[in-house]
Amino acid sequence: MNQGSAEAELYQHLMTNTVIFDFLQTQVLDGLWYQDVQAPTHEHDWVSPTFWRTLGYEPDQVPAGPTPWRATMHPADLALAQLHLEACLQDPQHVYDHLLRCTHRDGSVVWLRGQGLLLHNEQGTPTRLLVALRNITKEKHAEAYAEEIANHYGLILSNQSVYIVKTDTRGDYTYANDIFYERFGYGQDIIGTSSLLSIIEEDRQKCLAMVMRCFEEPEVGHQVILRKLSSDNTVKSNHWELKGTLNEQGQVEEILCVGYDVTLLVENLQKSQHLLDVTSQQNIRLQNFAYIISHNIRSHSANLTSLVQLLTEAEDEEQHAMFLQMLQTSTQKLAETIVNLSDIVAVNSNVNKPKERRFLKAEIDRTLEALSVLIHQHKITMDVQVPADLAITVVPAYLDSILLNLISNAVKYRAPQRPAVIRLRTYQEPSFTVLEVQDNGLGIDMVKNRAKLFGMYKTFHDNEDARGVGLFITKNQIEAMQGSITVESEVGVGSTFKVYFNENA
Amino acid sequence: MKTPKLAYVVEDDPITSSITKLILRKSLACEKVQTYANGQRAFDHLSAALHNGTDLPDLIVLDLNMPLMDGWEFLDAFSCLHLPTSVCVFILTSSIHPDDIMKAAHYKEVHGYFSKPLDDHNVERMQRLFQTCGE
Repeated sequence: MNQGSAEAELYQHLMTNTVIFDFLQTQVLDGLWYQDVQAPTHEHDWVSPTFWRTLGYEPDQVPAGPTPWRATMHPADLALAQLHLEACLQDPQHVYDHLLRCTHRDGSVVWLRGQGLLLHNEQGTPTRLLVALRNITKEKHAEAYAEEIANHYGLILSNQSVYIVKTDTRGDYTYANDIFYERFGYGQDIIGTSSLLSIIEEDRQKCLAMVMRCFEEPEVGHQVILRKLSSDNTVKSNHWELKGTLNEQGQVEEILCVGYDVTLLVENLQKSQHLLDVTSQQNIRLQNFAYIISHNIRSHSANLTSLVQLLTEAEDEEQHAMFLQMLQTSTQKLAETIVNLSDIVAVNSNVNKPKERRFLKAEIDRTLEALSVLIHQHKITMDVQVPADLAITVVPAYLDSILLNLISNAVKYRAPQRPAVIRLRTYQEPSFTVLEVQDNGLGIDMVKNRAKLFGMYKTFHDNEDARGVGLFITKNQIEAMQGSITVESEVGVGSTFKVYFNENA
Repeated sequence: MKTPKLAYVVEDDPITSSITKLILRKSLACEKVQTYANGQRAFDHLSAALHNGTDLPDLIVLDLNMPLMDGWEFLDAFSCLHLPTSVCVFILTSSIHPDDIMKAAHYKEVHGYFSKPLDDHNVERMQRLFQTCGE
């Protein structure tokens, strides 16, 4: 049997025997819909039992009515079917092929694809339409699912700003996604250039180390945070996961890098670290302060306790009077201490006092004015080299107190054997304006006293009117303005105090 | 009972100094008490006494916070003197800072740490510690 005769034989069978047609329409197709195109009532239409089975009905369960199949079909799709029929009647070339949604017996939607063939009578007039129906519900669902997945991942990728970059084994770019180009202002010309050099210098070593690990252990994610200049000229921190991808020989062929922006995270981390540092410092200060308060109050209260005891045991009038006198002095000193302490508490508790711009030179002149009698009396030479237009941001009351303290100290501790010179000058350091107060006075032994210089009730010269609070308060006031103070001094040569005024705080 | 012959009170506050002197004489039956306003003055007198062969103290009551030479510096200088007789050193301070208490424990010259005031309880403890001092 050759192919031609086989075809002829099949057609012969088809003409004489319905077995083949029955097989096709019951086993291959999911329904037939045979319509009378000339009867608008559709009452003479017929649907095959397979159609009903596709919708979940056995032949004996088919709903009653003149055209029950039409009730299962979606009205819009019925209208579409009608349009296709009319198009076919107009144009014999028109392809009748449309989707037909039907309601399954269980209420679900069954998607049928209908392909129609227009049949004519002997006169050539179209009289019947045969529509072959195939159930494509599964394909429809699969399609919808795939679309959903694609949308889902598409959304994730487009909303998450994930960078996807590939480099060759030398670290040159071989691929980058759009977000990467966009965020860092790159063009296609980066392909083939070094990815390492695009990272800020300090982080390159870290990056290299991570790439080395990709060679040692490919196909495992290696994580690293690297900084890079973005198109808006700010430095962005990016978290990267690097993986080596292998070629068929099992050698690393490419480095796949997936990254995202963690700048905000890193910044917040740094902020909290800074806050933690400030808080720990403050905590140490407060604890020391608590000990200082306790020490100072305690020393007087101890005297009072002892004196009261001694007073009750006084042996004569004279002793009695002496103890009473001492008691009086002690209470006075306690009161003074409390005043001193409340000054310090005020500085420590008002860390956020409002700051104002002040011309430093004008403030220095006012302080010198206040000290003019002393300066004149001790024939002190003042050498002030501060620009008149230099303004600093300070708590004005603190600046007054700091200047008064440092300059009056320089006056108080001048060296009697040589003409006293006090020199004030300023200079700039990153974020700070520095004021230097230099004298040629007695000087302080820094080896012995560095640690206690700014402590409370520490005095360094045998001076009766030294209270031992001046430098302690000065330091607290400067620190309350986020600045700092340092000192260099040598006995017999003089002292230089440097006040750092924070211009960023 | 052993009583101190000569005590040094090293204290910058004159009132505390007077009170301590009184209590040492009255309650500890101290024969003679000399007061010094800071470590330097006490040390100068001590080295002079050592040099001249005059009376050396057998008790020193030492404050910590003082100008010029504080209690710690005095202790450092004192430990270099190599006195021929034993001296009982007590710290008497208003500091309750744990660092100070810890630091004092590291000086073998210090026989007791006392927080002001010098009340009956402290006097009793001083008396007891003084008995075992130098043994």
